[in-house]
Amino acid sequence: MSQLHVHPDGSEDHGHPEHLGHHWNDSVQQFEAGKLGMWLFLATEVLLFGGLFCAYAVWRANHPEIFKYGSQFLSTTWGAINTGVLLTSSLTMAMAVTYAARGRMTAVVVCLLLTLMGAAGFMAIKYVEYSHKFHEGFYPGMSFYEEPHASELWLPLEETAAVVKAATLAGEEAGSVALAAEMKTRAELPTEPAEAQGWNKPAAGIGPAGLTTDQQNIDMAEMSVFLPPSVLGNLEDLDAELAYAEHHAADEPVVLPHPLQDPDRPVNAQKFFTIYFLMTGLHGIHVIGGAVVITWLLILTLRRRFGAKYYTPIDLGGLYWHIVDVIWIFLFPLFYLI
Amino acid sequence: MTVEGDDSMTTTESRPLDAPALEVDNYLTYTRGIRSWILTLDHKRIGVMYLISVLACFLLGGIFALLVRTQLVVPDGLIMSQDEYNQAFTIHGGVMVFLVIIPGIPAALGNFILPIMLGAKDVAFPRLNLFSYWLWVLGAIFLVSAIFGGLDTGWTFYTPYSIDQNSAMGGVIPAVTGAFLLGFASIFTGMNFIVTIHRLRPDGMTWFRMPLFLWSLYATAVIQVLATPVLGITLALLAVERAFGIGIFNPALGGDPVLYQHFFWFYSHPAVYIMVLPAMGVVSELIAVHSHRHIFGYAYIAWSSVAIAIFSFLVWGHHMFTSGQSPLMSVIFSFITFSVAIPSGIKVFNWLATMYKGAISWNTSMFYGMGFIVLFIIGGLTGLYLGVISVDVHLHDTYFIVAHFHYTMMGSSLIGFIGGLHHWWPKITGKMFNENAGRIAFMLFFVGYNMTFFTQFMLGSHGMPRRYATYPADAGFQTYHIISTIGSYIMAIGFFTMAGYFIASLFVGRKAAANPWGGRSLEWQCTSPPPHDNFSEQPAVGDCYDFSVLRWDDETNGYVWREDVAHPGHESEHTASS
Amino acid sequence: MSIVGLLATAKIGEATSGGTFWMPENASTAAQGVDDVFYFINNINYFFFALLVLILVWFAVRYRSKPSEHTTFTNDAPVHNTPLELTWTIVPLLIVGVLFWIGMDGYLHLVDAPDDSYPVRVTGQKWSWTFEHPEYGVTEAAELTVPLNRPVRLLMTSPDVLHSLFIPAFRVKQDLVPGRYTSLWFEATKPGQYRLYCTEYCGKDHSKMLAVVTVLPEDEFQNRLGKLAREYEDLDDKDLPAYALNRLYNRCASCHSLDGKSGTGPSFKGLWDRTQKGSTVFTNGKTLKGMMGPGGEFEVPENYIRDSILNPQHLIVQNYTGAMPTFKGQLKQRQIDAMVLMLKNLDSLVDENGNPIEAPKVDEVEVSTGADQ
Repeated sequence: MSQLHVHPDGSEDHGHPEHLGHHWNDSVQQFEAGKLGMWLFLATEVLLFGGLFCAYAVWRANHPEIFKYGSQFLSTTWGAINTGVLLTSSLTMAMAVTYAARGRMTAVVVCLLLTLMGAAGFMAIKYVEYSHKFHEGFYPGMSFYEEPHASELWLPLEETAAVVKAATLAGEEAGSVALAAEMKTRAELPTEPAEAQGWNKPAAGIGPAGLTTDQQNIDMAEMSVFLPPSVLGNLEDLDAELAYAEHHAADEPVVLPHPLQDPDRPVNAQKFFTIYFLMTGLHGIHVIGGAVVITWLLILTLRRRFGAKYYTPIDLGGLYWHIVDVIWIFLFPLFYLI
Repeated sequence: MTVEGDDSMTTTESRPLDAPALEVDNYLTYTRGIRSWILTLDHKRIGVMYLISVLACFLLGGIFALLVRTQLVVPDGLIMSQDEYNQAFTIHGGVMVFLVIIPGIPAALGNFILPIMLGAKDVAFPRLNLFSYWLWVLGAIFLVSAIFGGLDTGWTFYTPYSIDQNSAMGGVIPAVTGAFLLGFASIFTGMNFIVTIHRLRPDGMTWFRMPLFLWSLYATAVIQVLATPVLGITLALLAVERAFGIGIFNPALGGDPVLYQHFFWFYSHPAVYIMVLPAMGVVSELIAVHSHRHIFGYAYIAWSSVAIAIFSFLVWGHHMFTSGQSPLMSVIFSFITFSVAIPSGIKVFNWLATMYKGAISWNTSMFYGMGFIVLFIIGGLTGLYLGVISVDVHLHDTYFIVAHFHYTMMGSSLIGFIGGLHHWWPKITGKMFNENAGRIAFMLFFVGYNMTFFTQFMLGSHGMPRRYATYPADAGFQTYHIISTIGSYIMAIGFFTMAGYFIASLFVGRKAAANPWGGRSLEWQCTSPPPHDNFSEQPAVGDCYDFSVLRWDDETNGYVWREDVAHPGHESEHTASS
Repeated sequence: MSIVGLLATAKIGEATSGGTFWMPENASTAAQGVDDVFYFINNINYFFFALLVLILVWFAVRYRSKPSEHTTFTNDAPVHNTPLELTWTIVPLLIVGVLFWIGMDGYLHLVDAPDDSYPVRVTGQKWSWTFEHPEYGVTEAAELTVPLNRPVRLLMTSPDVLHSLFIPAFRVKQDLVPGRYTSLWFEATKPGQYRLYCTEYCGKDHSKMLAVVTVLPEDEFQNRLGKLAREYEDLDDKDLPAYALNRLYNRCASCHSLDGKSGTGPSFKGLWDRTQKGSTVFTNGKTLKGMMGPGGEFEVPENYIRDSILNPQHLIVQNYTGAMPTFKGQLKQRQIDAMVLMLKNLDSLVDENGNPIEAPKVDEVEVSTGADQ
């Protein structure tokens, strides 16, 4: 981006540095204004994500079982690695700002490069996670209920590990019997589409999928007078939902059936993945945006536009990158850890 | 002697430094050529571009308004089918809200006047300002293109209708994309104004020495920055829901349609204060200047703007009393809603007190200022009915609501905009418009306006629902509709008259003095139109409502500084501000 | 009629008889409370509006001056007055406090239905209303019959988009939200007929989503509903077509015309002919003919009609959008039979232009007071 040229307009002096806009009195004023402007922009980013955090909070408060259930399918390992990557890139970004203030521009270039590598690493891991999810058929929305691409028996890595572990513990011979029995049980689980089993996949045009219980003055017993059978059926699910949530609150062995084959999965389980993809997706877009900004800063640094006297864009870019990091710091525990 | 801007978005001048100052160096003539406008960094030119764009959109929205009103003169609908009518009111609402009233005063008048009122050379971020304008244009193109996409959801895009795949609405995604972009244009403008007011105030202008117009723009900017992102995420979610079936608002996919309403109104209620606060700021200027009287209760008016901005974030649920929201929430929102009424009332009382013992000029600008007061009183008082939940249950989604928001959005915000336009027209264009024509247009507007909208209160309380293309013939509604439509035509005549004399003033208007009305804020201390860099020497900062230092000068047809009074900065000043 | 004539003869403000300048007829227990608050606010508003505007005009006239009349301005008028500021802050605060209180009180009364309310299930869908009386097993369309002087509780939902049920004369309103149930209650105090509107924009025929509330004294009410309950059970087959046209077609009318004009859905005129011949083509390219007959999806053409009513998304006729909602759970078997018979015998029930030979149209409101149908 080009610099503003100063207008030597009559009474003004000619000594304005190149980076100083003609409407500013001095560099300090311009720098502080830039900082204030950037903080305002960060406030807008917080509010942008705020709506989604609100939705998460409301849904989780109303249906904690959906979130407990869904988070089991996320890989905590990858999430933690990503957190580390992003934190490190924030560190390198802060280092870039400090070096710029000291005028050590080569170090700035190195640090910006490292930050970019962090961004790339983050997106690469995200790509791995997302493609893994899609392969297993975890899509947002109602696509969640479509058959995953892998039509053969689905046995995720963690599960195989757990089963094998059980087999080892029980002794080899007994273990292989256990393994065989386990696989046989799995083979007998129904694999027809959800619709045939009467689960929550509504045909278009037929009534609402589920029943929300957060109503004013609607007494459940009273309501049954009015309810058509299709909804009455879901009432029973409600008890099952709650029982499931209690049951799974305690530590369970990590043997996860695929949701499509799991009769215990909560009503509207797809909501977890909806909000997961929405929030991490929006965050990923911001990471990419941040990477573009940092690349631009890198180019300008290489063109020797910055120095100890003027490094405001690096400072402001750093602020932006930090908030991208902070948002992830909230996302990680909310989706992966609890 | 001057050259056009080169391709790096700057303007440079190659006039030798020792050449005499140009006789008529103002921002309009400083550089010429289309590129010097398209790529300008001059806040005044950006303001003018916004002004022209906003007025063009007002014409578009107004045409649709006339179509809507014409349809309703007969119960079966006069000129449009159900579908066409639904599209007409959607476009009217969307264009007026997003393209006229929200950007109106801040972008068109604020961009021009704010830096000059501060004695500054430009806003804090001129490039961001330019970017903001072109983002606005892009958003406008998207939004207006939705006209051809058959958009018929209403400007509120309520779900599930707006995600229902079966409705004929190819226009939802372009429209929400447009609104998203417009939202960011609004955010960047807000950011610019906040930083400008914080950092570019001159020495001697403390916060409580700023003109009240700037206080109102500041409060507006805070709302713009904090509320608009929520609209952004809401519309983005709507688009994603529609395109990918993500299941956040669609009940068939496990979503909640009322969640959309919460998200939407969390922005849209503060948005109405984005619309009205700047207009109130304009009115403070109009009343004080044209009464030649120090504003009464300066600090109260200033603080009331801030109070309105804060409270506006807490009341969104009053749009949702009948939506299935819990009674507890409804009661809480009703309680807080009443609190917002008080600061607005304080302003009205202070304006009236300002007129006491004034020397009131019956200018067109003053008429609009007084008109604002009358219409805002009606708008505000009718809000009382709507804050009371039991009455709101009856009145919600009827024409009563339509009347209420038109009194506040059009009768107040738009009047403030028009009044400000008249007030600063000489400053912006350097020409005077014909005052008689102005007063006539005002009367036409005022009479037509009340005919149009006061009848709608009765329509609504009798139960005529909103967004109806047809209505039962024997419900007693038709007479009101006829009066309302006739009123709208009278208003239209008023607006066309206004356009006529404004355009005429550009060609044959009398040359304007630097200070034709007797204002004391800094914009009246530069020439009309202002020079390229606003001030050739740092202007004097004093009490911007102390008019005793001015006197009328017949020669220049304007007000000048009295010879027997020293300029501030040359002696210690006693200010009369509270 | 000319506009002048219209203005001369139209009655301003009359929704039904008995309205005032501001409000329609007051016909429920809640209405009085709402009206009282409304008029109270009215009086406050008249007073303050008059006061403030008079002050404004008085000042504008009294202190008018032209620039040439004086050349300087003085500073002798006050610019602040704290007692005044406090007064006009606190007094309005007290007034709105009172308003809030009475409003909250009135609202809480509106929220909780009495325990012994008469239940009605309401389904609002694009673009018609259906009212079910579970105590009688009766379903009404476009008309809601309720007893006088007894609390009635409506439990409402929508299968498609937001709607809102509004009865101005009762001063009640509540949105219908798909995916959940909402409720409202009222107690009617005057027999008669009152308008019911949809008042949340729901698409093309939002303006036409109208209904009528008929309030009958208790004995007449029970009488009428009893008759409605037995209505199609007692009927002979030969009377079913007329019954369907009179009582069921209401729900179809907004999309399916009787005169051949294509609307949101195909016209019913000639439908049975087309069905029998199998000439209907669907969006998936199949024709009906290929799906009928022994071993086909529809053994007999009547089954296709059934399927369209219960499972409308299954096969969508070419050039239509598939906007039809299902009526599963809303129609009993015999009522579906009645619809089929109506379609079969449509030519003897309606004339060329689709006008029923006997029954009234959907839009007409009979302003009678509670006579049996």
